[in-house]
Amino acid sequence: MFVVPPRPRAADAPPPAGGAAPRQAIDRTLDPDARAALARLAVRTRPVAASRTRLLPVSGVVAGLLPDGALRRGSSLVVGGPGEQAVLSLALALVAEASRTGSWCALVGHDGLGAVAASDLGVDLDRLAVVPRPGPAWAETTATLIDGVDLVVLVPPFAPRPAMARRLVARARERGTVLVALPGRTGWPEPPDLRLLVEEATWEGTAAGAGHLTRRLVVVTAQGRRSAARARQCRLWLPAPDGTVAAVDAPDGTRGPGA
Amino acid sequence: MDRLLVVRCPELLGEDEDGDALRAFATVVAAVGTYCPWVTPVRPGVCSIPARGPARYFGGETALVALVRDTVATVTPAEVGVADGLAAAVLAASEGVVVPAGGTAAFLAPRPVTTLAGPDLAGLLGRLGIRTLGQFAALPEAHVLGRFGAAGALCHRVAAGRDGEAGDLREPRTAGVLDQLRQDRPREAGYDGGPSGAGFWGGASDADVRAARSLAAVQELLGPAAVLTARLQGGRDPAARARFVTWAGGRPARETASTAPWPGRIPPPAPAVVHPTPLHAELADGRGEPARVSARGLLTTTPARLSVDGGPWAELAAWAGPWPSEERWWSRSRRRGARLQVVTDAAAHLLVTERGRWRVEATYG
Repeated sequence: MFVVPPRPRAADAPPPAGGAAPRQAIDRTLDPDARAALARLAVRTRPVAASRTRLLPVSGVVAGLLPDGALRRGSSLVVGGPGEQAVLSLALALVAEASRTGSWCALVGHDGLGAVAASDLGVDLDRLAVVPRPGPAWAETTATLIDGVDLVVLVPPFAPRPAMARRLVARARERGTVLVALPGRTGWPEPPDLRLLVEEATWEGTAAGAGHLTRRLVVVTAQGRRSAARARQCRLWLPAPDGTVAAVDAPDGTRGPGA
Repeated sequence: MDRLLVVRCPELLGEDEDGDALRAFATVVAAVGTYCPWVTPVRPGVCSIPARGPARYFGGETALVALVRDTVATVTPAEVGVADGLAAAVLAASEGVVVPAGGTAAFLAPRPVTTLAGPDLAGLLGRLGIRTLGQFAALPEAHVLGRFGAAGALCHRVAAGRDGEAGDLREPRTAGVLDQLRQDRPREAGYDGGPSGAGFWGGASDADVRAARSLAAVQELLGPAAVLTARLQGGRDPAARARFVTWAGGRPARETASTAPWPGRIPPPAPAVVHPTPLHAELADGRGEPARVSARGLLTTTPARLSVDGGPWAELAAWAGPWPSEERWWSRSRRRGARLQVVTDAAAHLLVTERGRWRVEATYG
């Protein structure tokens, strides 16, 4: 009887030849330009945050504050603190990664955005629309934006009525939009899914007349409902010396001119 | 009566079945549109633009005619002319002349009445012995109206240079056909059509369309200038490094090279809040004496307290600077000042002093 010899499996092949060799060959044939073009293509063809995905990505350091490690679509957050310090920076750090991966963001009611800081934190400015002075129509503006963009950062000009806040939160939940409210002193009457509080903010790098501001140590507490009921605390450099956000314990966060 | 420049393409006047002429005409309209955006397609093969503004910009009507003729000639042979009113301008175009302002009546006078009047009116005028438009224009207007009716009176007004056009000079369908043609054309680089496409290869995705629609709705609600987007540019202070431009349909902007060195710029990290109008501030030392920056760029005293916008005094935890800056010293918009970073318990600010006054330019919020 005719016996077919078994096909050699990949595991049978000698280790150096199995798999590594073809990749090396490809690597050698591609010049750096072509490889860079391929990398860019990979970024473009990476699935953007489509409506089917229920989570919007958040950069690694900030993700530790969130119960899912990402922003859940349709959720509402409140970012605040005892003072005004680091609140806007934290909100920008939250939306940065999502904007970079193709989600649209809007900032409503803040007329002093530092675009350089936002860009340094990783926000794609091409995908950030700013409505600095919505005036009395701020709620209508926010509702319209909730219909269209993926993340809305709202700085209400005055304390919203509870019914209005509830309606905005409900609309965001229905449309799968993340609503980040920065109420400041005016307060936000609707209990959010997650509340981020900047407990402490300490600048480093300056002394009496020497140096310059290099980085800010920020202690953030996150507490919310359901899975976020247990409070999480996180120490961040916000911003780190290069304007990004970094974990305090990370090796590159502890280095720097201010250390 | 408007001064009009008319482009007439003799080869594109007739309608053809496969639409080649119409497509070529669409190209002509686009080419003429580079001189003036308000191109009116009069009929297939004929379009007009208002001549006054472009003529002033491009150095006179004769120069403009030559420019437009050369531009359109790259597509198809063209006749270009300028006159008051559409009827005279089309005639001027077919002869390639520029009729001086107010010279329409004289320009039309020697022509036969058939150039303006329809066959009925022309036949009637011919039988009455009126052969040229000049003779027709010389008739008293009230009598023309009584004898030839409204259409005749309008034709008379055109012949006398008092009205722009008469009869069936225009074909209103043309603009619609061109619009249709533009929508059918596939998207090209540089052509900004409506959002379409699946987005997989970088076109507009559904999310982009949705976002553009809601931002347009906000612009409708608050005005177009209410929705902004930020662009980075070179500069020293945080306010100069960013520019807010009106949202325009999410078109990616041209990249501005912000890698150029700006010596003396505020070291990073950048402040998260840049006040659109800097806040008034007061800076004082421990004894309450105001702190200033001297002409040599040095602080006159050690700052210890800060008051922003007339608010309560806050003790300074730390400060850095001053960093003197002298910008555009060669021009009238020169600015001479110094910047100072101050840290209080509640916030860190970037202060700027000019002419002895402190202001909060940005806050590290």
